[in-house]
Amino acid sequence: MIDVALVITSLAALLFVARMLRGPALADRVISVDGFVSTIVIGVTIASVRPGSGVVESTVLVVALGGFVGTAILARFIERRGS
Amino acid sequence: MGEVLDVVGGIALIVGALFALLAGIGVHKFRDPFSRMHAAAKSPTLGLVLVTIGAALRIRTFSAIATLTLVAILQLLTSPVGTHLAARAVHLRVKVPQDGVDELERDEAA
Repeated sequence: MIDVALVITSLAALLFVARMLRGPALADRVISVDGFVSTIVIGVTIASVRPGSGVVESTVLVVALGGFVGTAILARFIERRGS
Repeated sequence: MGEVLDVVGGIALIVGALFALLAGIGVHKFRDPFSRMHAAAKSPTLGLVLVTIGAALRIRTFSAIATLTLVAILQLLTSPVGTHLAARAVHLRVKVPQDGVDELERDEAA
């Protein structure tokens, strides 16, 4: 069940990466980075359940905080640079 | 009891992952940045809450449950703020075609 969930999360991450590469505007890329980080947080949480994966729950906390800071910085970047 | 919690936790993990997939499909299919933002912001948050519940049901130690609760609360607080920042930046800088009247622009002009 954990492996199934991990495969589904990986598919979701691939869809976000596809949108990130295709754009077309900078806004689309920033939005997909935001969603991609949320998907990574979900994936790390699932991996922390998997026995023998070596991932601890505290990792999730760090990734979630880093994701928020990243989104805030990217939003600032759009405001400064324009489309 | 243990097996029941494991199965319920596993189902919560899979449903949470499906919400992430839903967000990916939405971001891939929708046609303008605001629609994509709608898909990318809401459903991963619900997915993460479900996944943390599932993980807590499967790990069942106090420190893990405390950390995962913290993660869920943190995501519920930061995800709307981050999306609001991104939406504001996009509205200021990118011309997005809209179906009706742009109410934010109208209100800011007034």
